[in-house]
Amino acid sequence: MTNMRNILLIAAVLVALVAVPPFLGLGWQNALVNILIASLFALAFNLLSGQAGLLSFGHAAYFGMGAFATLHLMLAIEDGLSFPTPLLPLAGAAMGLLIGVVAGFFATMRSGVYFALVTLAIAELFHSLTPHLQGFFGGESGISSMRMPWQGFVFGTVLEVYYLTLFWVVLSVMALWAYTRTPFGRLTLALRDNEQRVRFLGYNAHTSKVIIFAVSAMFSGVAGGLQAISNETANYALFSSHISAQVVLQTFVGGATIFFGPVVGAVSFTLFAYLVSDLTRSWLFYQGLIFVLVMLFAPTGIGGVVQHHLRNVRRDDWLLLAGPYALAATGGVLIAGAVIYLTETVAVLFGEEYAVQIRNAEGSLPAYEMFGAWWEPFGIATWLVPVVLLAAGGAILVKSRGNILKCWEKMGREVGEGAHEPAAPGVAK
Amino acid sequence: MTRKTTPRTSALQLTDVTKSFGEISVMKGVNLDVEAGERHAVIGPNGAGKSTLFNLISGLFAVSGGDICLNGRSITGLPPHRINRSGLARSFQITNIFHRLSVFENLRIGVLARHGVRFGLFQPVSRMRAINEETVDILERVGLEPRADHLAGDLTYSEQRALEIGMTLTTGADVILLDEPTAGMSREETAKAVELIRSVTEGKTLLMVEHDMSVVFSLCDRVSVLVYGSILATDTPERISANRQVQEAYLGEEAAT
Repeated sequence: MTNMRNILLIAAVLVALVAVPPFLGLGWQNALVNILIASLFALAFNLLSGQAGLLSFGHAAYFGMGAFATLHLMLAIEDGLSFPTPLLPLAGAAMGLLIGVVAGFFATMRSGVYFALVTLAIAELFHSLTPHLQGFFGGESGISSMRMPWQGFVFGTVLEVYYLTLFWVVLSVMALWAYTRTPFGRLTLALRDNEQRVRFLGYNAHTSKVIIFAVSAMFSGVAGGLQAISNETANYALFSSHISAQVVLQTFVGGATIFFGPVVGAVSFTLFAYLVSDLTRSWLFYQGLIFVLVMLFAPTGIGGVVQHHLRNVRRDDWLLLAGPYALAATGGVLIAGAVIYLTETVAVLFGEEYAVQIRNAEGSLPAYEMFGAWWEPFGIATWLVPVVLLAAGGAILVKSRGNILKCWEKMGREVGEGAHEPAAPGVAK
Repeated sequence: MTRKTTPRTSALQLTDVTKSFGEISVMKGVNLDVEAGERHAVIGPNGAGKSTLFNLISGLFAVSGGDICLNGRSITGLPPHRINRSGLARSFQITNIFHRLSVFENLRIGVLARHGVRFGLFQPVSRMRAINEETVDILERVGLEPRADHLAGDLTYSEQRALEIGMTLTTGADVILLDEPTAGMSREETAKAVELIRSVTEGKTLLMVEHDMSVVFSLCDRVSVLVYGSILATDTPERISANRQVQEAYLGEEAAT
């Protein structure tokens, strides 16, 4: 039953991924390419972090090396090497695997915090060395290449790149899924739970962890390779801690304990960046806020909350929950409104433009425009808006929280960590 | 007690094993000879070094001196996984299982290792019939088949102890080390655990640390008394309890408290 539903869901998603993009604009096609790449990267990362329990803070290294290797292969094709363009990501895979074996050998000698620090250091090593290496990494400006046509495919349009990316991502995700069903995939989970016992059952724990690390790095390399194909350029910024951190955030917001959780995180973060970064400069702040809220109120991530509901809520229970959840969502939206209002106000009042206006107004604080209206810095209305929003939203949330708790009690089931969850997506609006 | 009349062969032999942590010497030349097929207990007062002895034999700690032989071959200095593959499996005093895996999977990890499927990446484990059947077999032997699909972390304490014993069976070792398998159990649970240990170690060699003398008497062929890092005596349970030196060092002490 559940199995059938899952298969249908996956089939529907696949059909949509194949059929819809031709009808989308260039911007959306590009965003979808980025979403696919981020999803694969997050899944590859989570093989190590979620399944093996080894939290890496330096996965940018394997992503970046995959991208550079792929670009070098593209340059070689430009120079006349006959290699089918659609197989380019194999270069990323090979490079990811190679670097993964070497880096993994050292990093997995330790676990926990020390493991995380070693991975961080390895990525920083790449980030600080590559700008000085002109030959392979092209110095600070990086290297560029062109996608060469192969057989009938020109790879000149975003749509063609999209389908190439889709093919590789689906293939890789299937491989990563299959991995979890193999004996080694089960051993991966056992290592997360109790490495010592694994050793006393006759396994070489270190070798096993190196292999897991290398597989994770290999698929990260594929993701990096796809990015190189899409952008036709790469520079040392690919190794920055920002990239390493991004994949950690996406994975944990999506849910590290569920196979497709990281995809949820990657999709929401990439979409969020695509949609919101044009609207406000504070989008990174909002992104960080969402991360903090999810970690505080739904530590198992969005995927964890969804799974908890699918497992514990029967169909008729939804009628019971719908009301309180809608109420909570309203409260969440009001509070989100207040937070956005305050953030944007601060951004305006302490911004450069406004500083100039103050100077022109000879010290007094002029009115400013925001959300299509004019606001006085000392006006009562200006500050009444967020106060009212906060008070109303807070009251509603407190009320709905009680109702939700009662509902779960009535259903006779344990309250999940996500009982308060509608507040988190609410803030994202 | 059923003593072997066949020529004695050592399953496990410790010769002058020493261990020191920095200045502190915990093992002061332990000599121990566990015969193939016997059930052998190590007893001794708290702090005598019983768990340390197990950690030395199973390779968790490296010995400072001396030699350990398993079935006639030296295993001194080998890492735990090599010692396990040489035919020695151990349980732990503090339950040491995979809490977030099912009971079935806990056991299957060991069965996979025994079949040499340590890096199997190209076949789903669900299709490996021999391995799954063998896992079911061990599951039944330790009486956990009704709990097969539960998470190991959700089992009761005595069920976890049974799982702990089951895991030592999975790798097919013929020398089994059990570290206080009945610790913290009620009287009935202990009786059941003794029966379980008796049946699953049939035809194997057992070395166990045990505090409960009634368990030792009903289960073991021979007993070694470990006191402050050396073996005071090794004999049948009856003669050990009659040994005045042992009474002074250990049994008397317990009787006095």
